[in-house]
Amino acid sequence: MNVIVQSTYYTLYQDTQQRCFFVDFGQKMVRMSLCQLLSLRQKVMSISIESHFDSDLNKHGFEVLMLCNKEHLFILNTLEILDLKRMVEQGFVAMGLSAESELVSA
Amino acid sequence: MKDIARQSMSIKVESMDLLNAQIKMEAHASATYLAMASWCEQNGFFTSAKFFFKQTEEEREHMMKIFNFLVDTGGSPVSPEVTDINHDYSSIVDVFESTLEHEVAVTKSIHNIVKKAREIGDIATERFLDWFVMEQVEEENTIRDILDMIEITGTEGVGLQMIDNQVAKWID
Repeated sequence: MNVIVQSTYYTLYQDTQQRCFFVDFGQKMVRMSLCQLLSLRQKVMSISIESHFDSDLNKHGFEVLMLCNKEHLFILNTLEILDLKRMVEQGFVAMGLSAESELVSA
Repeated sequence: MKDIARQSMSIKVESMDLLNAQIKMEAHASATYLAMASWCEQNGFFTSAKFFFKQTEEEREHMMKIFNFLVDTGGSPVSPEVTDINHDYSSIVDVFESTLEHEVAVTKSIHNIVKKAREIGDIATERFLDWFVMEQVEEENTIRDILDMIEITGTEGVGLQMIDNQVAKWID
């Protein structure tokens, strides 16, 4: 497996033999197709980080993330979400599917 | 190292995001024209209602064209959530003026995606949108012609009835 990008909490790998990707979430390693990775990107980029600083919008500052057709469930805090956004963004740039490094709003 | 990502997807994710936003815009336009058809039916403009029923179908076809392009290029098309549809219009002139505003907004959005695709070197998306650029020229022209016809006919007396009858010219 080759490392595509690594952030503080997460690592994105490419497995050439299995023709898929793996995301190491710390607690567990999740196998993903590119479609599932695109779905992760859509979900992560849709999260409004501003709401984490407004107790009316997000009281506890957590996000529930369901991945790979509800196979995996993660509860992430503000720092982890910020790090995941960065990892996804840089991952797509490293894979050559994104032309820029600025955040894409969903 | 094999480039699995590139083998699975042939457009940039920035284009995909903009095309998903365009899918939503086309779906919103389709729903708006359906609301206009409803208004026309309720206010006795039956030919104009037929025109808007046809427009509704066309906008949905545009949406599906983009949706299928994202499928074909290995992207991730998102089924849009459509909300905030206006059902209130003050007159038939208001309906057609709102239609032109809508079409101009769609044109601007398409042009914006073309510019972005060109900037990031996404030739497939740029070429795909060629059809939409010309389609928008036609759409805007149709509504402008109808508004010109309304201005010439006038809305006094039997004018409104004549306007509705003449809209038939633009249905086929």
